[in-house]
Amino acid sequence: MNKDDILELIIKHAREVLPSLDDRALAGTDSLRDLGANSMDRSEIVMMTLETLDIDMPLAETIKASNMGELAALLADRKAGTPA
Amino acid sequence: MNVYAGTARVDVEALARHRGLDMTRFANLLMKEKTVALPYEDPITYGVNAAKPLVDALTPEERDRIEVVITCTESAFDFGKSMSTYFHKLLDLNRNCRLFELKNACYSGVAGLQTAANFVLSSVSPGAKVLLIATDISRFMTEEGGEGLTDDWSFFEPSSGAGAVAALVSDQPHVFRIDVGASGYYGYEVMDTCRPAPDKEAGDADLSLLSYLDCCEKAFMEYQSRVEGADLAHTFTYLAMHTPFGGMVKGAHRNIMRKVAKARPADIDEDFDRRVSPSLHFNQRVGNTMGASTLMAIASTIQHGDFDEPRRIGCFSYGSGCCSEFFSGIVTREGQQRVRAQGIGDQLNRRHSLSMKEYDELLATNHLVKFGTRNASMDPSFVSPARRVHGRETLFLKEIKEFHREYEWVS
Repeated sequence: MNKDDILELIIKHAREVLPSLDDRALAGTDSLRDLGANSMDRSEIVMMTLETLDIDMPLAETIKASNMGELAALLADRKAGTPA
Repeated sequence: MNVYAGTARVDVEALARHRGLDMTRFANLLMKEKTVALPYEDPITYGVNAAKPLVDALTPEERDRIEVVITCTESAFDFGKSMSTYFHKLLDLNRNCRLFELKNACYSGVAGLQTAANFVLSSVSPGAKVLLIATDISRFMTEEGGEGLTDDWSFFEPSSGAGAVAALVSDQPHVFRIDVGASGYYGYEVMDTCRPAPDKEAGDADLSLLSYLDCCEKAFMEYQSRVEGADLAHTFTYLAMHTPFGGMVKGAHRNIMRKVAKARPADIDEDFDRRVSPSLHFNQRVGNTMGASTLMAIASTIQHGDFDEPRRIGCFSYGSGCCSEFFSGIVTREGQQRVRAQGIGDQLNRRHSLSMKEYDELLATNHLVKFGTRNASMDPSFVSPARRVHGRETLFLKEIKEFHREYEWVS
């Protein structure tokens, strides 16, 4: 699964957690915070994505990502076995 | 054990609206009310008011066996002098007593509890008791020209409460019998939330939440590796966790149930309602009491759970910075009767409800008692109805004279 697939996955989980997003177009440059996700929502989206990808990593390491694209890149590196 | 949660409260949803916070996702934070510390309340008044009923119930001989007073806090008003010295004086304890204070953010209460338990277990002074007082307050202050509370950080204002839990730790556990040696601890250095300057809280709410979630899993895994046969889903009738706000506990429970117990989503919700929600009642009405929060969650579980048969509570504490611990203990029907006899729920109901006007006035007044105050007299007419809500003797701060804090009993 490459970075773009992972971004799609993050967006899918974001829509599940934030029903208010409806069909709004989303891109990697969007930050979950700006989309209205609070801390709880953001952690939930990250946890769901890690679970789907079957990645076991400290959640605190995902803090470096400032938008969904960066999060997808970080998780893609992790999935590929290279430390972010 | 006993809980004291002050004399005044504010509705946090009203406060959040008053601050103009985004309310669309507010409900999932699971917050209701918070205790607000008035200028004539401080960590000492909270701690003494929590401990007094426990100490008063002892015989003079038993009281003289209190040989250690441990204060667990991140709200101290002196870098050197320990608050235990004030507790010792105000509760009139035996002078052959160790007095000290312990800090490790919200982990302090459990660090103190384990320190107390280890003193008792060591049998170096058979029959001795430890008085444990976890007490924390938050005082928000408005300053002209100061930077506003912004973004998610603003949720710390509605969630930060005030309160204390006092407990007597001895070889005669009537309320909560710790499972000796059944502890998984996990800590590492992280800059999540802190109090880097007097009366100032700072940090990264996201990082703190994620670190809490990581630690909850790691501390439990360590507990499991040390306790043969331990199983997250079946070993504990109830779970009591550090509660910055209810939503965080819900998130942590969901995470470990999914990862460790491999539970399905629908089962997780049912499990949360059955095993975790009894722990939330007090914290949801008091706000985050930092070092006292995990102990308050345990007290709430004992008050609201079903203990017709002895039951085991799994407990998790997390303190920013960070250190965490998963441990457990047993509660019997007698323990529940003793906690219920303290009337904690009624005490919470009696607190004065502050209007937003009173609350904002308070924020403008709080600098009178800020860290480092040398001399000050408290104004008893400020929100005066709060001073008599409990209908029993209640300790308040009277004045600060040359840094020394002087207190008065009001009834």
